[in-house]
Amino acid sequence: MLKYTIRRILYVIPILFGVTLVCFLLFNVAGGDPAAQAAGKYATVEQIESIRAELGLNQPIYLQYLDYLKQILTFDFGRSWSTKQKISEMFWSGVGPSLSVTVPGFLITLMITIPLSLVLGYLRDSFIDRTAMVVCLALISISSLVYILAGQYFLAYLWGMFPISGWDSSWTGRWEYTTLPILIMVVLSLGGQILFFRTIFIEELSKDYVRTARAKGLSNKKVLTKHILRNALIPIITLVVLQVPFLILGSLLLESFFGIPGLGGLLVTAINNADFPVIKAMIVILTILYTTFNLISDLLYAVVDPKVRLQ
Amino acid sequence: MNLNRTFSRLAIVFVALSFLGITLGCTKKNSAKENVLNNAITANLKGMDPIYANDAYSNQVISNIYEPLFEYHYLKRPLELQPLVASAMPTASKDGLTHTIKIKKGIKFQDDEAFPEGKGRDLTAKDFIYSWKRLADPANQSDGFWIFDGKIKGLNEWREKMGKGEASYEDEIEGLQAPDDETLVIKLTKPYFQLYYVLAMNYSAPVPKEAVDKYGKEFINHPVGTGPFKLDSWTRNSKVVLVKNPTWHGGKYPSEGEEGDDARGLLKDAGKDLPFVDKVVYSEIIEDQPRWLNFMKGKLDIVIIPKDNFDTSVSGDKLSKDLTDKGLKLEINEEPDVTYMAFNMLDPILGKNLELRRAISLATDTNTLLERFYNGRGVNALSPIPPGIDGYDKDFKNPYKEFNIEKAKEHLKKAGYPDGKGLPEFEYSTTNSTTARQMAEYTQQNLAALGIKIRIAATSWPQFTDKLREKKAQMWGIAWSADYPDAENFLQLLYGKNVSPGPNSANYVNKKFDELYEKALKLPPSPERTVIYKQMKEIFVQDLPWIPNIHRKAYVLYHGWIENYKRHAIINGEAKYIRVNLNQKAKLAEKL
Repeated sequence: MLKYTIRRILYVIPILFGVTLVCFLLFNVAGGDPAAQAAGKYATVEQIESIRAELGLNQPIYLQYLDYLKQILTFDFGRSWSTKQKISEMFWSGVGPSLSVTVPGFLITLMITIPLSLVLGYLRDSFIDRTAMVVCLALISISSLVYILAGQYFLAYLWGMFPISGWDSSWTGRWEYTTLPILIMVVLSLGGQILFFRTIFIEELSKDYVRTARAKGLSNKKVLTKHILRNALIPIITLVVLQVPFLILGSLLLESFFGIPGLGGLLVTAINNADFPVIKAMIVILTILYTTFNLISDLLYAVVDPKVRLQ
Repeated sequence: MNLNRTFSRLAIVFVALSFLGITLGCTKKNSAKENVLNNAITANLKGMDPIYANDAYSNQVISNIYEPLFEYHYLKRPLELQPLVASAMPTASKDGLTHTIKIKKGIKFQDDEAFPEGKGRDLTAKDFIYSWKRLADPANQSDGFWIFDGKIKGLNEWREKMGKGEASYEDEIEGLQAPDDETLVIKLTKPYFQLYYVLAMNYSAPVPKEAVDKYGKEFINHPVGTGPFKLDSWTRNSKVVLVKNPTWHGGKYPSEGEEGDDARGLLKDAGKDLPFVDKVVYSEIIEDQPRWLNFMKGKLDIVIIPKDNFDTSVSGDKLSKDLTDKGLKLEINEEPDVTYMAFNMLDPILGKNLELRRAISLATDTNTLLERFYNGRGVNALSPIPPGIDGYDKDFKNPYKEFNIEKAKEHLKKAGYPDGKGLPEFEYSTTNSTTARQMAEYTQQNLAALGIKIRIAATSWPQFTDKLREKKAQMWGIAWSADYPDAENFLQLLYGKNVSPGPNSANYVNKKFDELYEKALKLPPSPERTVIYKQMKEIFVQDLPWIPNIHRKAYVLYHGWIENYKRHAIINGEAKYIRVNLNQKAKLAEKL
């Protein structure tokens, strides 16, 4: 187990190397000239060249890449070329607000979808199950923008249940502004997750061990919670754990409509501004998070299911 | 399995969340008693250092904290400069090369930890020289250096040496002198009649060296200016709160304006001390819907009507009854800008075939474009010079700006491509926003009617500008807004010496046009200069390096409790002139 863990941690290094290299090359080929962006609309060739020198962009490409690797090791990505702000500040000031929406939204969704899917799996093909499937399909068929626009208009503006948008940095004050986006996030995720989890539970319900458990005279409740739920946890854990990195990155639409100062738009804005230091930092952070949580999900398999033996 | 229990638990979660929302929703603070101006900016604020004030949003905030030498008169139209921290308008030598500016006595930087005992010191002429060196210093990578580039004696040389590490801030610059604390002398390399305009831009606002030294690169988040407001707090990507600067040197509300201002009640506060509000809040709200809904709830005081709400709010330049009943007021302003479709004049077909460009111009249906994409908020542009700027003439004729497919076909035939036969497919470059793509598709439809095929290349803004700079684009759509109210700011986009990578992305070169441009540069605003601008417009129409599309109009709504509001297309520091009538606010807020 320890060997496996160490090996998996070491795998992160070539993955990170590969991702950063691809990101670096892609940006250099198709990202737009950052020196020209920084030089502005009246820039002369000399000014662009001068900024290129200031940014270190006139160095050979391999040296620029080595600089990038150094930044990864020291975790110091410097300042944004576009806003001139410190990237670590930009990142840390955005993580809290993003997580304030995504974590409660994510947990509440799971609290609803897992038991509900289990019940629907059990009641497969019943009237309740069919109605729920139609509702779920309807939920995922509607654009997320519709939920946001309608939620904001009716719940916040017309009925005054929530503030329309805004933010309060204090821990006690922020919930006033995050409740509506959290609710919308839950509604947005319900349909897809229920359909996915229900399929997993149905698959488990048809397996031999379920018939055996029932033949032994176990109650439905015990079969569902002690046997099926536990066996179905592997794909559920995969989905859940791999979603965690994206929780940190926030939700672009929710944050932008509800004025949550999170990380949702940071990467998109950086790409639109050819702001390479921010792009680099975000790619590295995302890669580390993704590979780490991938590892965690693999390790959790062994905990949840003793059949999984790590070689 | 107890299904009822499971569903009951779910129901409890929903009810609890809804209750939380209702409870919190009811705890919203009532701001009707606060003397605060609630404004919105439509993008996230980058920072508050004047040398990086390259976007309207930063300028909107910075203008309340920093003060350049001059400002625009709040009410007069056409726009007119007046002293701000200067004590009078400058005196210029006969040859127009030396400008002497006197600075008001007793102007103080706001109190800040950067100063001894935290007390702001007096502003001196040396602060301007320091700040302008800072703007020129290549290490700071400011894109605002263009305001002085090649114009002040010795400044470019100093900049070059700084780049090589061979100069310092202590070095004297011939063109920037401060004989005493209140006198600033600027020596130019050539006549530059736009100098006073750029000295009204935030790029040129003075900053204290002590604060820059103390905060270093974090100075961008610690503004220390001389303006009527100072920073109270900034929650990044959320809101900026400014409060009255108690050590501000003061100012009076203007006593005169343009015709009609008195009748509109804009002179009621004439001669009174500024500012009228204690606090200004700028909420960073990017999306239209939350901005509009917050405004309709009275959480914001002023808003530009979003495109999607325009038709239900305004009809025939009149506000709907529903909004009028709520006490809302409408202000319509012609903005000094132009949107246009440009051709790369180096392109072997588009650039060399005048009849083809004429045909494209005649096939472009600007009126439908105006209705479809701008809700009619604009005027048909006939030349590069927009309304409100010397050189604009509403009766100017551009014979190729009528939508006439038959005539377009005739010109296409003259061009040697009857019904588009023999023409290759052209690439139309644009940015990847939804509206930009839709507008490109509209152009595609327009030209298809003529038999001209275009394919749309939509990229990010950096890639788009790279293409223009590298002369790789064939035709594209773009817009230009005035940095200052002078036609030169628009005509320089067509000046032969400004071709790519300069701002003349169309790479248009016409010897006669260039001669006239250089002649106009040497002239102060005068009838003689206006005649030259007219001749340049005529050359433009004959050559058609662009098809001018639209000069946009801003439709601004504000609540009945806001007084003294007048839209100004170039200045951003209007907060000091605005009064919030709290009694009126208490009454009108009930109707919202």
